[in-house]
Amino acid sequence: MSNAHAANKSSLWDWLTTVDHKKIGILYLISGGFFFLIGGLEALLIRIQLMKPENTFLTGDLYNQVLTMHGTTMIFLAAMPIIFAFMNAVVPLQIGARDVAFPFLNSLGFWLFFFGGVLLNLSWFLGGAPDAGWTAYAPLSTTSSGSGLDFYVLGLQIAGAGTLIGGINFLVTIINMRAPGMTFMRMPLFTWTAFITSGLILFAFPALTIGFFLLMFDRVFEANFFDASMGGNPIIWEHIFWIFGHPEVYILILPAFGIISEVVSTFSKKRLFGYSAMVFATVLIGFLGFMVWAHHMFTVGLGPVANSIFAVATMAIAIPTGVKIFNWVFTLWGGQIRFTTANLFAVGFIPTFVMGGVTGVMLAAAPADYQYHDSYFVVAHFHYVIVGGLVLGLFAGLYYWYPRMFGKMLNETIGKWNFWTFFIGFHLTFFPQHFLGLMGMPRRYFTYPEGFGLGSMNFISTIGAFFMTIGTILFVYNIIITHAKGKMVSGDPWDGRTLEWAIPNPTPHYNFLQTPLVRGLDALWIEKMAGNKKMTPAEPVGDIHMPNNSILPFIMSLGFFIAGFGFIYFNKGGALALVAIIVGLGIGLVCMFLRSWIDDHGYHIHKKDLPKEDKGADL
Amino acid sequence: MNVGERLTDQNFPESPEKATLEGKNKFLGFWLFLGGETVLFATLFGTYLGLRNSFGKGPEASEIFQLPMVFAATIILLTSSLTSVYAVLALKENRVKAMRGWLFVTLLLGLSFLGLEIYEFIHYVHEGHTFTSGAFGSAFYTLVGFHGGHVLFGCLWLSTLLIRNSGRGLTLYNSPKYYLFALYWHFVDVVWVFIFTVVYLLGKVG
Amino acid sequence: MAGNEHTNSVHRHSSLQKKIKLKQERRQHNVSFVMMILLTILSFASIMSDAISDTVAILFIIVLACVQVFFQLYIWMHLGHKGHEFPMWGIASGLFIAALTVGTLIGLIW
Repeated sequence: MSNAHAANKSSLWDWLTTVDHKKIGILYLISGGFFFLIGGLEALLIRIQLMKPENTFLTGDLYNQVLTMHGTTMIFLAAMPIIFAFMNAVVPLQIGARDVAFPFLNSLGFWLFFFGGVLLNLSWFLGGAPDAGWTAYAPLSTTSSGSGLDFYVLGLQIAGAGTLIGGINFLVTIINMRAPGMTFMRMPLFTWTAFITSGLILFAFPALTIGFFLLMFDRVFEANFFDASMGGNPIIWEHIFWIFGHPEVYILILPAFGIISEVVSTFSKKRLFGYSAMVFATVLIGFLGFMVWAHHMFTVGLGPVANSIFAVATMAIAIPTGVKIFNWVFTLWGGQIRFTTANLFAVGFIPTFVMGGVTGVMLAAAPADYQYHDSYFVVAHFHYVIVGGLVLGLFAGLYYWYPRMFGKMLNETIGKWNFWTFFIGFHLTFFPQHFLGLMGMPRRYFTYPEGFGLGSMNFISTIGAFFMTIGTILFVYNIIITHAKGKMVSGDPWDGRTLEWAIPNPTPHYNFLQTPLVRGLDALWIEKMAGNKKMTPAEPVGDIHMPNNSILPFIMSLGFFIAGFGFIYFNKGGALALVAIIVGLGIGLVCMFLRSWIDDHGYHIHKKDLPKEDKGADL
Repeated sequence: MNVGERLTDQNFPESPEKATLEGKNKFLGFWLFLGGETVLFATLFGTYLGLRNSFGKGPEASEIFQLPMVFAATIILLTSSLTSVYAVLALKENRVKAMRGWLFVTLLLGLSFLGLEIYEFIHYVHEGHTFTSGAFGSAFYTLVGFHGGHVLFGCLWLSTLLIRNSGRGLTLYNSPKYYLFALYWHFVDVVWVFIFTVVYLLGKVG
Repeated sequence: MAGNEHTNSVHRHSSLQKKIKLKQERRQHNVSFVMMILLTILSFASIMSDAISDTVAILFIIVLACVQVFFQLYIWMHLGHKGHEFPMWGIASGLFIAALTVGTLIGLIW
């Protein structure tokens, strides 16, 4: 196959057709990062509107759209793909694999997410964005006029399919493709959290898929699922959404836990404290994450029995989470701590996340929740766990794995400025919101009256948002500087402990010349302690089997994107919409057919084209 | 051995569907996918059960359901599940002709199931039980339609598989494909068992 | 060429074992097919007849459906066989979440 040399050539075509997990990771990072900036811009607009009482910067319907798109973009189009970026970039390397289990599906998952995200954001230019909140509660969502909610349903449906595919891919990769000796209890914690997160995706996303179908049928085909006058029931939407939505929260936070575990351990020069307890806590959080969704619905009126059960289950999650917090602290304890930017973010994460966790337990108390519900207290809580938890974790991961992904280290000085502006800005933004909530300020309102004493804290909160903006701009500047002036570093710039640091820089596209033999937890560290310069190989140098690139995932996703448009305009677009549906779905089906029809055996990199021996990471 | 090479009785592995890493991955990935599909259909079943007595402007379930026809459809689908099992047994013995024969029978049974279902739907629509006649109608057609869509997709998949591999023996490359199809088909049958029980039989007693 | 003959006879022996195993399997499959048809008829009859009260009949047919799932998963899809540990986890977790979902949408709405 001509793919062997095509893979070395960097061109647009190569990026469109790539099935290499490292490149797909970069694609996820760039598009997730782009959507993160859009979502951040929307957040800034929200904060400007709320800067002073009775402001008229963004009012009514437009505010609703910005608010909805901020939440939706951040969760589905920024946080999830950046997590997938790390999972792609790191997990196969951490388990000593040459690629993921399904490279073709990996590419398909990315393109579905990408086109879904684009479709959703096109709503801005085509008559208005969705405006029913990221939760899209019926009947507000079923009766919202305009096409905004149709873009929401179709865009997220397509993106969600990509996520589901990614989840299955990583489950199989981690189960089937670990290097010899890499038992489950020797897997780095980030791989563990990626594993559990993938499991949550597998069982949570199908519920959302159906939820979106029901909503779409109600809006587009005049079904009556949520229309009470025809016997429908809007509570069903709430249940379905949260049966997905609560596990989603853990889908987001678990990988951040994994990143923090790697970073804290590496920069304390210590083995992670309580590794097996950490694994157990991760699994337990994953399990409990499915048992608590109704705590979002305490005020719906499920009755005292259901509320009590879900309250207790929710509080129980604090236990495994507490185990994790203590283990990170104990890992730091007595370690040779290096305060690199990655570690600063990790250390900043710990107390911040504890605060988010504590307000979580407060919200779990069902009677008290009647007070907090739909107030800024809730907004403060989930931003503490999602920004203070996940986003700080993602920043830590970016600074930590950047040299692995791009070969260059991000500038540490700018990095520290990045950390402090973002960290201070974050607390400045969200800490006052707890009190705003307790004072009675409801969430999702576009303004508040004068004379309620809400003005000064809202103003502080907006100042904080500008600090976070500066932090983010510094980060973007750091990336530009690094790529313009940064030098290539060795394959192991941090004195790492796990397998992703055992290979040369830049990473060869087959990852490992020889599959490594894993002899314990922190596999690379064990070799270092034994005085070895590189991993002990599990096999001699031989031909390496690699998957072929393919354009089909891109075209297939494009097909569904076109069909999505057709469904959105089904009631207004007449025959053209119908044509779009038929053509779009047709393209999708033809691509599936071609995938089935064309035998694809991959290709081999021959031994003579490979280096004679594994040089390791050039320690 | 080349994965595209035709297997002989001498080098035929114990489980040809899992003899390569790709095969193992497909096997596991597909099972996990079915785990996810379980939740997908559960959400549909739950929705249906929540709305099954909200008839809106349409007729009641017990008035319209045509149990004898549904019973026939059930037997057809069960039989097709059996024929796909026979196909898997033949696959394990490298009897390509027998396998393809059984799969062909499976395909015919699947198509006749679909025919019955379409006929049934048309009948219901004439009775006034439509997608928009009430919450019950929406939930019914969505649940049963999703299942029907799965059968249709299965038929398309199987046809592609049979046509593509006509005249070709079993290889390490195509064995997992046949095997996965059989898993899919069984799963679709499992879902139907519940539709038969929860939708039709339960609908009769109200 | 004695070695060759030896491997041949071993091969023949193992293929004979395999044949016997598959034959047993085939019998299992046939039995489970007959059982499933019977179960279907039974649940059909229990609903159609007036002798059994509706509540009992409903419980009865749901139990029968679950038994059929067992037949499909264990006998026809070989879920109990060696090498199915992770599929087992996948299906079990799926069924667990499925039960939660269905239970909720029946019980926790009004």
